[in-house]
Amino acid sequence: MRTRTVLLALLCTGALVTSTACSVQKPSEGGDATANCGAGRDFLIGMSQANNAEPYRQVMNNDVRTAAKSVPGLTVVVADAAQDNSKQVADVENFLTQKIDLLIISPNEAKPLTAVVQKAYDRGTPVIVLDRKVEGEAYTAFIGGDNVAIGRAAGEFYANTLLPDGGKVLEITGLPGSTPAAERAQGFREGIAANPKVDVVASQPGDWLREKGQSVADALLKAHPDAAAVYAHNDPMAEGAYLAAKAAGLHTKVKFTGIDALPVPSGGIKAVEQGRLAATFQYATGGREAVDLARRILVDCARDVPRTTTLDTMRITRENATEAYARLGGGA
Amino acid sequence: MTHLRAPGEESGTPVTTAGVAVGGHRRWRPPGGRGELVERLFAVQSLFALLVVFVLAIAVSPRRDGEILFLSTENLGNIVRAVSEIGIIAVGMTFVVLLGGIDLSVGAILGLSAVGTATLMVDSGFGILPAVAVVLLIGALFGAVQGYATARLGIQSFIVTLAGLQVARGLARIWSGGLGIPIAYGDGPQEAPPAFEFLNGSINGVVPVPAVLFVGIGVAAIVVLRKTAFARHVYAIGGNEKAARLSGVPVLRVKVAVFAIAGLLAAVAGIIHAGQLNQGSPNDGAGYELDAIAAVVIGGTSLAGGTGSMGGTLAGALLLGILNNILALNNIDANVQLLIKGLVIVAAAGLQKLRRSIV
Amino acid sequence: MSDQVLVAMSGIAKRFGGVHALRGVDLTLRAGEVHALLGENGAGKSTLINILSGVVTDHDGQISVGGEPVRFAGPAAAQAAGIATIHQELDLVPALSVAENLVLGREPRTRLRTLDRRAMTRAARDWLGSLGAEIDPRRPVGSLRVGEQQLVEIAKALSLDARVLVMDEPTAALADAEVRRLMSTIHALRGRGVAVVYISHRLEEIEHIADRATVLRNGEVAGTLRPDRADRQRIITLMVGRPAESLFGAGSGGVGAPSPPGPAVLEVDDLAVRPRVTRPGRCEPAGVSLTVRAGEIVGLAGLMGAGRTELLETLYGAGPPGRHTGLLRLAGRPYAPRGPRRALRAGVGFVPEDRRRSALVLEHPVGRSIVLAALRRFTTAGVVRGGRERDAVRQQIAALAIRTSSTTAPVGALSGGNQQKVVFARHLLTRPRLLLLDEPTRGVDVGAKAEIYRLLRRLADDGMGILLASSELPELTGVCDRIVVLRRGRAVAELPADGCTGEDILTAAMGGASAGGVDR
Repeated sequence: MRTRTVLLALLCTGALVTSTACSVQKPSEGGDATANCGAGRDFLIGMSQANNAEPYRQVMNNDVRTAAKSVPGLTVVVADAAQDNSKQVADVENFLTQKIDLLIISPNEAKPLTAVVQKAYDRGTPVIVLDRKVEGEAYTAFIGGDNVAIGRAAGEFYANTLLPDGGKVLEITGLPGSTPAAERAQGFREGIAANPKVDVVASQPGDWLREKGQSVADALLKAHPDAAAVYAHNDPMAEGAYLAAKAAGLHTKVKFTGIDALPVPSGGIKAVEQGRLAATFQYATGGREAVDLARRILVDCARDVPRTTTLDTMRITRENATEAYARLGGGA
Repeated sequence: MTHLRAPGEESGTPVTTAGVAVGGHRRWRPPGGRGELVERLFAVQSLFALLVVFVLAIAVSPRRDGEILFLSTENLGNIVRAVSEIGIIAVGMTFVVLLGGIDLSVGAILGLSAVGTATLMVDSGFGILPAVAVVLLIGALFGAVQGYATARLGIQSFIVTLAGLQVARGLARIWSGGLGIPIAYGDGPQEAPPAFEFLNGSINGVVPVPAVLFVGIGVAAIVVLRKTAFARHVYAIGGNEKAARLSGVPVLRVKVAVFAIAGLLAAVAGIIHAGQLNQGSPNDGAGYELDAIAAVVIGGTSLAGGTGSMGGTLAGALLLGILNNILALNNIDANVQLLIKGLVIVAAAGLQKLRRSIV
Repeated sequence: MSDQVLVAMSGIAKRFGGVHALRGVDLTLRAGEVHALLGENGAGKSTLINILSGVVTDHDGQISVGGEPVRFAGPAAAQAAGIATIHQELDLVPALSVAENLVLGREPRTRLRTLDRRAMTRAARDWLGSLGAEIDPRRPVGSLRVGEQQLVEIAKALSLDARVLVMDEPTAALADAEVRRLMSTIHALRGRGVAVVYISHRLEEIEHIADRATVLRNGEVAGTLRPDRADRQRIITLMVGRPAESLFGAGSGGVGAPSPPGPAVLEVDDLAVRPRVTRPGRCEPAGVSLTVRAGEIVGLAGLMGAGRTELLETLYGAGPPGRHTGLLRLAGRPYAPRGPRRALRAGVGFVPEDRRRSALVLEHPVGRSIVLAALRRFTTAGVVRGGRERDAVRQQIAALAIRTSSTTAPVGALSGGNQQKVVFARHLLTRPRLLLLDEPTRGVDVGAKAEIYRLLRRLADDGMGILLASSELPELTGVCDRIVVLRRGRAVAELPADGCTGEDILTAAMGGASAGGVDR
């Protein structure tokens, strides 16, 4: 009985593997991207997202979906890798099995996804890489923000508008070792260089987390009760810092800024609109821009799309918050 | 309990002097009785389930230009490749679960091994074989220490390996500095031998190498589990540790060996992981232990220990792979996918319960 | 003792399947009396008590409490009628304090509906004090000694207005000092007019404390008497009854003529074990000397808790770790039992008492269960050689006449007797020179029992030495060549099976006058 069971087991696994080996090989899709294009046709776009659980990436997915709706013929399917490189590789492979016409990918990490992105590109599937890059040149276009520029914009805002007379600044950084954290710190220092009276007196990691930002700010404010402002590397940490200051009774004295400006109820734009943050700086998702590129590649058969698109940031203060929220699709 | 018993009160039955067995045999069943029949059915249950899922997948597979996408060569290869790491871990997990234990550390050992592979080859300039040997040794040792702790100190393996999970993750973070170590190929410094890329390749350009390794390890494990005295000891300990001890089974040695195997196979999976993703990251393999346990459970191995089969585990792993694949091909929402997988696991466990109530 | 009858049970009968557990039993309990209940395992004591305490409800016969006929719907009803039972496994929550246990389920509250700890502690102290027990009510019950826990349980029963207190083997796990304390407590209870039903095997205790004793045998009352030292033999005779027909063929000296004993297989000289951790309820060897020769079946007798199982486990290396003193020789060579694995290699086999808990996995196939201990013999380079294994299994199944549908059928599908034979087969496959058996026929039907007895004799005739622990007197007298009696971990008597009766064994085991045996 057991022998038969095992034989059956072997047979099944064997069948799975050999059917892999024996079934007819499909002729390579080959061809270049422009062969499969033109107006009036239907296109399937695969959107491989690194992690749906982050609000920023949710907004990115929404932007892609919303933008795609306005282009006739485009259908977008989204796969969530849940922060798992292997899962994202499988997601892309499954898209290829489905013969998608274009891949939009926001990679979880660069190196592990390079190979599969290259595989897609080599088959003639146009690839638009969003937010984080992959290695090498095997993609059609990259769209991303410039964290140094964002940091610089924030720094200039501090130097010229927020603290023209100078003051002590506390910095709450993102996850140590992550590129955006390093760049946002670097850009900020470039920005405030114009005003030597603005001084970063302390810098502590908040790991992008609201609760971590709160506890770090709590400690920092105890050490520097005379601080004039808190520069947080994202909005949740800025909100956390605001809560810590409020508990210490310093929230009216100290000013807070964040980065990201997500158009969602819990996002930074609302926090600015409601007066908790003095300003936030948009880190664009690139979703709309990606769909726009996709439209040009698929519908317009454009061959010369820009290889790199750097997204501009936007400063959001009390004056433009309401308008920006609506324009970026908040509440939609 | 052990009172003295006076004569003549043997259940009121007249005592016979003849040596012929009288009555009794309440639970004896004729050959092919219900119990055995059910056992027989359940022995192939997981394979049957695999077959059902396979056929269903063909049925609901999206098609394009008349081609069943699910059945494409490449897709089938992808399925086995995608499930190979979980599958290899699940093979080790099967030994542990048969023993009546659980190993929560395998995902973390995978991460540690991936980091180790990358660091040794890229930063320390190891060749492929030395690097692989060191990583395998670390994995096996890590498992053996856990096995020793649970067997000798009598701490439940759940707790020991929960601690082991933390330790392995911590070691991986320390070793890697908290960041993923990318593997670049070449002959220069800070580059790994290009031959290591074969893990990312496929045989004849069709069958992925990790899939071959998975099937090979699985078949080897089936043979071990069927043919060796070691496996008998594993089943005996899992079924009734006291009985095993009283029957002269070297309980400590077997437990250490089983956890060492689990650690070793997790290390194998870690090496494959590094090879497939060209990177070793300390967070790799997070949660893989749960997928492996799911494969084992779907395969019909009882978490109580003592009963189960390796063939079931392989079937369970492939079933999970097919499920993942067909749900993705149909673009089922990621959250709904989780629900469906949860239901499948509960259904498998329910079948186990049903078996026990019938036999 | 007054003449006021608290409880009268009359014509109590109860059947389990086709077996009469009780037949027409009458029992009266008077206020202020200690009533001992005696009888062997299976005599019906437990059933009677379960009926009295409302655990068993579907019985025949009448119960009246204080003259009123009652019918208990369950244990709670019996408790409400004032009948409290103190089981061997005490019903206390170890993590809670003494006071908390005493008021469990009826905790006093303050006006704010919070726990009134002060009232709790005061009440607990009162109840315990009335028993003359000085136990801090704030201590967790788990930290108390067994004797103290018993007092707490008695106090709890009294606090619930119990008029009848049933105590099941209350001294089984007590040290001598605690026994004396319990005796004086029972004395005090008697003074309060409480009726105590006292179950024990220790005749000296019963003589000391009981006003009357009822002896049960085969579910019937064999007699009621005033226990007295002079009556000890009478009690034993009442308990044992007349010997029934033998399972063991003609004569009491075993099946067939005993072969002349060969050289000593096992020599035990003054073996004692001091375990590193004392486990309650265990009685490790404390001075055992005995010899088992090749071709000989030596019986090991003793009351519950006398240390039979513990002795066998020690000889097999399966006891708790600790310091061993005394000399052990196996086939003439010094022998240190350091674990079952070594014991097996040295040629010692052990069939444990509880086969389901200690020997078998019911889901595992028969063949694999048989071959487990001797796997080494069929293994080359770690691989089990199926052909040789199958041959050995088939041979054992045939030799022991194990009735199974196939070698792959689960052990659980076999009858109790055949399961036991599987365990035998497992150990016989290792070719032991000494076989240790602990209650080898428990839960085995009559036919299989006879088969096992004949098997034992055959093995002995083939030169094996067998040490057989049993609580069944006919088994000891019928199967064994000699019988060693244990009491509290010590070997107290060695009786020749020839001409030895169950009464002799009981007498030695209970510490009574020696009857024909050799006192040590």
